[in-house]
Amino acid sequence: MDIKLKNISRKKSTKTAVFILTVILIVLTVVQFQFVSYNDIIPESLIIREYSQSEYFLTQEVRNAWYEINSVMENRGEVPKSAHYYYFISDGEKTYSNVEGKDKNFFKQFDKAFYSYEMGTWTIGENTNPGGITKFYVSDGYTIYISYPDEFINEKQQEWEESRNILVPFAVRVGVVAVLILTSIIFLMVQTGKNQLDDEIHLTKIDSIFSDVLFSFFIPLAAFWIIGISNLYYSGMSHVRQMYSAVWIGIITAFISVMCGIILLSLTRKAKSGRLFKHTVVYLVLYKIYDFFKSLYDGRMFERYPLTKSLFYRQLVFITSSAFLVFLTFLFFLLYVPLFLIPPVVEIVIIYWYIKGNNKTFEDIDKGFNESLGEQMKAERMKIALVTNVSHDLKTPLTSIISYVDLLSKEEDLSETVRDYVNVLSEKSNRLKNIVSDLFDLAKSTSGDIPLELESLDIKKLIEQTLADMEDEIEKSNLQIKTKLPENSLNIYSDGKKLYRVFQNVIDNALKYALPGTRVYVELEEIDGKAVAKIKNTAGYEMDFTAEEILQRFSRGDKSRTTEGSGLGLSIAESFTNVCGGKFKVEIDGDLFKVQISFNLDK
Amino acid sequence: MDNARILVVDDDREIARAIEKNLKIEGYEVVKAYNGLEALDALVNSNIQLILLDVMMPKLDGLSTTMKIRESKNIPIIIISAKSDDSDKILGLSMGADDYITKPFNPAELVARVKSQLRRYMHLGYMDDVRSSKTQVGGLCLDTDAKQLEVDGETVRLTATEYKILELLMTNAGMVFSSEKIYERVWNEPAYSVENTVMVHIRRIREKIEINPKEPNYLKVVWGIGYKIEKH
Repeated sequence: MDIKLKNISRKKSTKTAVFILTVILIVLTVVQFQFVSYNDIIPESLIIREYSQSEYFLTQEVRNAWYEINSVMENRGEVPKSAHYYYFISDGEKTYSNVEGKDKNFFKQFDKAFYSYEMGTWTIGENTNPGGITKFYVSDGYTIYISYPDEFINEKQQEWEESRNILVPFAVRVGVVAVLILTSIIFLMVQTGKNQLDDEIHLTKIDSIFSDVLFSFFIPLAAFWIIGISNLYYSGMSHVRQMYSAVWIGIITAFISVMCGIILLSLTRKAKSGRLFKHTVVYLVLYKIYDFFKSLYDGRMFERYPLTKSLFYRQLVFITSSAFLVFLTFLFFLLYVPLFLIPPVVEIVIIYWYIKGNNKTFEDIDKGFNESLGEQMKAERMKIALVTNVSHDLKTPLTSIISYVDLLSKEEDLSETVRDYVNVLSEKSNRLKNIVSDLFDLAKSTSGDIPLELESLDIKKLIEQTLADMEDEIEKSNLQIKTKLPENSLNIYSDGKKLYRVFQNVIDNALKYALPGTRVYVELEEIDGKAVAKIKNTAGYEMDFTAEEILQRFSRGDKSRTTEGSGLGLSIAESFTNVCGGKFKVEIDGDLFKVQISFNLDK
Repeated sequence: MDNARILVVDDDREIARAIEKNLKIEGYEVVKAYNGLEALDALVNSNIQLILLDVMMPKLDGLSTTMKIRESKNIPIIIISAKSDDSDKILGLSMGADDYITKPFNPAELVARVKSQLRRYMHLGYMDDVRSSKTQVGGLCLDTDAKQLEVDGETVRLTATEYKILELLMTNAGMVFSSEKIYERVWNEPAYSVENTVMVHIRRIREKIEINPKEPNYLKVVWGIGYKIEKH
């Protein structure tokens, strides 16, 4: 059950669904806030049950009344006839009121909304905001009574409750949604980077962005959101335009929350894999600077070369001590002049030590260098000698084998069976001869130990000659050769004999492995100052190998064919081409086998 | 002539024995030696008409032996060596050898080469009859009066075209001729894509004059340039 839950919660589709859900919830919440604001709802009604107790009442209604009354007192205006309140104001001489002859008790009877100012103190009825009233400035000697009749308060209370009826469920909804959003964000943060297969944290492409760069995206995104919302918010009364504004704000919020979500999850993944701080531009820059200064004195670049390392440390000691001695010279010069002769003397000793040590090290380096050079030459000579000796050692017994097999086949009184065996021996020993010969050609050309006879020659002529030379094989092969050669000659600077081997081997390969009855194409053309020859054939079998594999020594196109050839033909062709200064390329495209040989034209 | 005595020199006794056997089948007498010094002794002790000589041998190697022999004798020397580089062949021939066979060799080819050298030695070696109408390159002898070719003393039949090609190449031995030039000189026509035509004739001539047409001694293709008769 646990495993199953883990599998589901780590599924990409689950995570994506949760992500989308979260974004939708965020958008809905934002749009709901907007809806509330369009409905002229006073948010205070959510907390304060009674209108008469609200700050809204105090700051809107009462403040307004107080302002009007004050104006009357100071002869700046009048209280409108339609005023909802009763008032009384007096400074001891003048008295104004809209209920003539009524005393304080009259006002007091409206105890829910009775506001008075006497002898410097306010009473504020049932209101819960004593602080709010002190902001009203009143002259000390005034006496003020303001009362609201119950009908007015009740009417307002009804509106207050309507507002409440909308707000309370809204608040509950917002609360629930907020919890949901928070939960799903936590879920996403926990699950991000994990998959069903293992418990590792898997980073994605976006995680290759530096953490601080990623984090800094939050700022423009937040700014974009705030500016977007304040521009898109419509404060008029048209319902259509309100809807329009809501849709736009929804879209922008969705976009921003998706972006923020991606960044947040990326940062979370990086934090989980421990790369949050290390993979930042700031860290990298600081580390590079630190590392640079460290490398200046720890001598790590000479790790593998102990001799150079000792040179380096000696130099470090030399520079440091010399600098210190210079400092001492100045110091002594200021303190006591005769003393300043000491540092130069010490410096001379140090210079002596420095030069002597260095000379010794240089000698060691030279010795080591010569030794390694000598060894390298020796190894090279050994390699060439090895090829020659192995060649001789293989060819000598092979000569005996071939000779005696031949003698054996000349014997007249052999039984049928023995003759059959002798034929097999003869065939195989001849094949072995070819392999050995090819092998040493290849060994020599790849080791570079091969003399070249370079001269200017016409590669077109060479191809024609090669094809004419191979006429017998071509006729036997049941294949047609289609040539497409240029009109004029294409001169290159190369070794004709080797190049003949190259083309012979490649064409031979085509003849051996092409599908019977098909055509082999031999083409030559001039491309960008190069002579490019192409030999193409349709393979007679499935080529389940790559172009690289076919050129690897001893690999054979058709593994089932073992009767003739050494399997080295193409390798030799490639190696000879390279030795002669050309480029050799094999391409396999389905059943099409294509060899391309190119040489720079001789100017 | 069939009883010519041949000296076989190889430090590998089995190879020497196999060569001996092959030559005896052909009716030759064989003397064996297993290094250069023994070979020189054998030359003194018996009347030898041809030497088959290995190169890599103890005591005295094949090349030094060749030089020593050439100080006093001009009998044919065929080198048999596992070294197959062109440079080795050139070195061997320049030391005075008449032919160079690489190991592992084809016994039939070996015998053919021995025969060829012997014929040349018997027929041409003593011939002072070098008339101006004869052009000689190695074992090839072209009689421009009789329009005839002899290979190692044996007349070879050539077609008119083949003869003309060979005449051009032999009288200018060592010079390389392009197929166009050969065509223009032999056919007397302007040449236009004639590589194949010329090459066909070259191949036919080779089959007539070479022991192993795959590895020609005389008529060589200079790849990408033309054809030539190798100077001997």
